[in-house]
Amino acid sequence: MDKVKAPPLTLASLTNVFLKAGNTTFGGGDPTMMALKRELGERRGWFSDEQFALVFSLARITPGTNVLAFCAGAAYLMYGWVASVAAVIAASAPSAVLTVWLTVVFESADRNPIAKMTVSGVLAAVVGMMGAAAWQLTKPSFQGKGWLRIVALTGGTLLLREAWGWTPLEIMALAAVIGAVWREM
Amino acid sequence: MNLVLLYFLLLKAMLLSFSGLSSLPVIEADFVEKHHLITERQLNTAVAAGRSGPGPLGLYVVSVGYMAAGIPGAAAGYLAMVSPAFFILPILRFFANRATNPQVRGAIRALLLSAAGLLISSALPIGRATLTDGVMVAVAVGSFVVLAFTRVETLVVVAGSAVVGFTAALLRG
Repeated sequence: MDKVKAPPLTLASLTNVFLKAGNTTFGGGDPTMMALKRELGERRGWFSDEQFALVFSLARITPGTNVLAFCAGAAYLMYGWVASVAAVIAASAPSAVLTVWLTVVFESADRNPIAKMTVSGVLAAVVGMMGAAAWQLTKPSFQGKGWLRIVALTGGTLLLREAWGWTPLEIMALAAVIGAVWREM
Repeated sequence: MNLVLLYFLLLKAMLLSFSGLSSLPVIEADFVEKHHLITERQLNTAVAAGRSGPGPLGLYVVSVGYMAAGIPGAAAGYLAMVSPAFFILPILRFFANRATNPQVRGAIRALLLSAAGLLISSALPIGRATLTDGVMVAVAVGSFVVLAFTRVETLVVVAGSAVVGFTAALLRG
């Protein structure tokens, strides 16, 4: 994806990105974080891959909802604590209102099949979105012997998670230790 | 229902969890079994509502708060959900100050590749549940191509996918 000149980073423009990404992505926190990575990093150039890795990892060890910790941490790195508070509220308040409305609807009626199919369409896009994010994360390592790192760390993560049921926390702790001692990375 | 108590009960559940629905057992024990603030069916409805809209899975605590005490309860649930997020700031300051250390840099680069594996892992159950026909597979592949190789805004892709899903549902009657 070609980079263009980054637009100016302001509190309003930053909050607007969190508002859009936080309240339009379905499927849990990971798709939201990937949408934010793309919008803040690849499209606007405000947030580096290294910053993403740091905040993504620390959000996993922060109690509570990972994606909100991610929003708080990412916005803090880019614009300070005021942006951190604004980002968390922008990314979650509209969805919270919608959740209350859905609660009322679910208590009174069965789900509409057309609405269900519409959400399925969005979830299919989420699968593509997460694949694209994984591609963006691994792309810089597709040079020289970088594929070894992809096999070891990306493939190893997938194996540990899917075949042996390790938790993300355990996997990321192991990856961090490997990264700290594997100097060629 | 005392709103302060409601807030602290939900906050306790959030502080004892590290992902969206992992707070569920604590909430079930406190709200359904111990204090009888909501029923098991209401808890299931709250989880369904939290999963059906956009945003984090943890949003179901807002619904639990609403079930227990109406709109003020939903507000208490919302505050309990967002409060722990700010614990990341002191942790972040600690690590950001050490970001130039070669070992920390190596760890961060390894975490990037590990994160890619975790993302694929998270996408698998969504894919298994959603990619059940050619239309949905096409939407997923098309979204991947557009998002990986163009600068089209994510919201446009999400909205376009919703339109495709809606149209497919109408055509199937």
